[in-house]
Amino acid sequence: MAAARLRLIAAVAIMAAWEALAASGLLFRDVVPSLWYIAKALAITLADPAFYRNLGVTSGEFLMAVSVGGLAGASAGLALGANRFLAAAYERWVHYLAPVPKIIFFPALLLAFGAGPGSKIAMGAISCFFPVAISVASGVRAVRPVLLNVGHGFRATTWQMATKIYLPAVREPLLNGLRLGFGVAAIGILLAETKLSKAGIGFLVMDSYRRFDMPGMYALLILVVLLVAAVNAALTRLNRN
Amino acid sequence: MAVPTLTVEHVTKRFGTTEFGVTAVEDFTFDVAEGEFVSVIGPSGCGKSTLFHIIGGLTGDYQGRVTVGGETVNGPHPAIGMVFQEESTFPWRNVIDNVAFPLELRGVSRAERLERALHYVTMVGLRGFEQRYPAELSGGMRQRVSIARTLAAQPKILLMDEPFASLDEQTRLLLGAKVTQIQQRLRQTTLLITHSLTEAVQLSDRIVVMTFRPGRVRRIVEVRLPRPRGDDILTSPEFGRYVAELWVDLREEANRGLDAAEHLAT
Amino acid sequence: MIRLAPVFGLVTLIAAGLALQGLIAIDVVSRYVVPPPSEVLAALGRIVVEEQVPARFLLTSAETFAAGLLILTAGVPAGFWLYHSRPFRRAFEPWVAAWAAAPLVLAYPLFLVLFGRSSITIVILGVAAGTAPVILKTVEGLAATRTVLIDVGRSLRLTRGQMFRKILFPAAMPAIFTGLRLGLTFSLINIVGVEFLINLGGLGQLINELAERYDLAGTYAAIGFVLLASMLFFVCLEHIERWLRRAYG
Repeated sequence: MAAARLRLIAAVAIMAAWEALAASGLLFRDVVPSLWYIAKALAITLADPAFYRNLGVTSGEFLMAVSVGGLAGASAGLALGANRFLAAAYERWVHYLAPVPKIIFFPALLLAFGAGPGSKIAMGAISCFFPVAISVASGVRAVRPVLLNVGHGFRATTWQMATKIYLPAVREPLLNGLRLGFGVAAIGILLAETKLSKAGIGFLVMDSYRRFDMPGMYALLILVVLLVAAVNAALTRLNRN
Repeated sequence: MAVPTLTVEHVTKRFGTTEFGVTAVEDFTFDVAEGEFVSVIGPSGCGKSTLFHIIGGLTGDYQGRVTVGGETVNGPHPAIGMVFQEESTFPWRNVIDNVAFPLELRGVSRAERLERALHYVTMVGLRGFEQRYPAELSGGMRQRVSIARTLAAQPKILLMDEPFASLDEQTRLLLGAKVTQIQQRLRQTTLLITHSLTEAVQLSDRIVVMTFRPGRVRRIVEVRLPRPRGDDILTSPEFGRYVAELWVDLREEANRGLDAAEHLAT
Repeated sequence: MIRLAPVFGLVTLIAAGLALQGLIAIDVVSRYVVPPPSEVLAALGRIVVEEQVPARFLLTSAETFAAGLLILTAGVPAGFWLYHSRPFRRAFEPWVAAWAAAPLVLAYPLFLVLFGRSSITIVILGVAAGTAPVILKTVEGLAATRTVLIDVGRSLRLTRGQMFRKILFPAAMPAIFTGLRLGLTFSLINIVGVEFLINLGGLGQLINELAERYDLAGTYAAIGFVLLASMLFFVCLEHIERWLRRAYG
């Protein structure tokens, strides 16, 4: 109850400050447009079929990217976590590569996959791969040894061990890795789209920037942030259950 | 008998509402004289820890009165030093800095507080481990660090809540001998909360037996065993007699605890 | 066996490079997509001299360092404040979580208009992207402080300030560090990303320029440098973290 009231107060205060800033004319014209214009732009954007077409393009790229990157990351994580030799041989390289801003590979990906969705999917997949792989690998190692002994005691096959013991036990680190992976994949795809593309949300943002349609740009930003926050909240909830 | 330094007078503590609540401690009265070692013993779940927190001043909102040197306790009292049941060393400080912590708070200079801390580190038998971090020590060693830290504050009254509960039997007995030795040397007024009969008999001048929920004073037993008491006392017939006598009281209370648990389960 | 594994890993990686060289030589892989590794190695020296790699490296490092410093000075107090005030925490922790997840970099044109085309804008974007994780982890770390440690502090009658300095802050330290690592990762993505996108400043710009000149070997060599730079950076962080872990158990 108190939380809801605080949020309401904060939201009103932010909006009031925004309006005051817009009315003051202190900043370059139109950079901070009145909320009313932003609301209008939101309505226009939501009614525009082009928005949904471009949202479809970006969502499609995102889904492909996280399925490819997530699956590859989870498999690599399982392998690294379960096999000490593989971990000693390759895990340090995964750790080194993980924090590297993946956008630097974009010129290479453009050459390999073209200017279309292919290069964006690759960008997102590479971004998503690392957090998932690292999280799953450490999750597998954290599986209590007694559970593994139980599995071996019942003479489970490697496949049964993977699906019946490791996978349920690493559910939480997997979801954590995916949550981080989704975030960096979204950033990677959007960055790639703003650099070079003919469709997608990143393209729309650049387009409205080129036309200096600031309210339109704010509308897009608000919608993207809401979408991503919703996906993130859903994943967090999934993790708690 | 000497003047009591610590008195607990008619202390009652209820948790929850009047309809749905538990009376953890009821009309609890006893005292500890200067230089005396008193144990409060009772079955698990009888409200021992509640009593510990009340005397330590960490739990308020109870009826009755706790006094130290005639002064009513209202929040943590500077004369009381607490040793907790749970592992309570600071993992980010090494042994010597853990022990020097209370001196640091008082603004004692670094050189002096290290020297004084070293004295207590030696007393609990951890000389040579000053630079180690708690993560590198065993559970028993960590608990000794906690005890040394509390002693370094030089409290008038040492208040301990099952400090050896998480340790194995052998370590517990050895540490018990160590604590009596220290207590005798410092003539340290001590109140120990425990569920262990042997521990209570080995260490105490008097033992307060607590009933199972609500926790009341069932009986106060005076232990007339000669001091100093090393670990050889554990095998003496007098020691066995005290343990057996106390077990009669405690068994009844522990059984009531078990019955209550079964009652809840059905 | 296990002791040879790192060597084995390195050897297989070199072998993969050699195999790639071979595949390019027999035209299975187009040299216009992936330049031969030998040419990339040869380009390393060239771009260091011709493209001021050391200066760019310093610029990107300075931007990241500045962003990191700002992230800490803003994020940790904000985290403390949220922890301290329960209603505020309940009200705004979800907002901070949403902020952490939001792809703020999409707003970079806006930041350009507001703050101009300069390193300052890049640092601001880095801070905007990296602060939320530090706040979240600081709150998490403080909230996870064991009650018994706080009780020790209470029994020794610590003042509110002493409680923060001597117990809560050290207890939350490992979590704060995890937050910093996460925040810096996001920060670096944004800093290098924006350098690359708007062709300004350090290593990100270098890659963009070389790519636009179709200097493939140079582009790959520059990618190698960024890999090296971020590896160095995070290896340093890891060492600090390991030292902390030893001290923190």
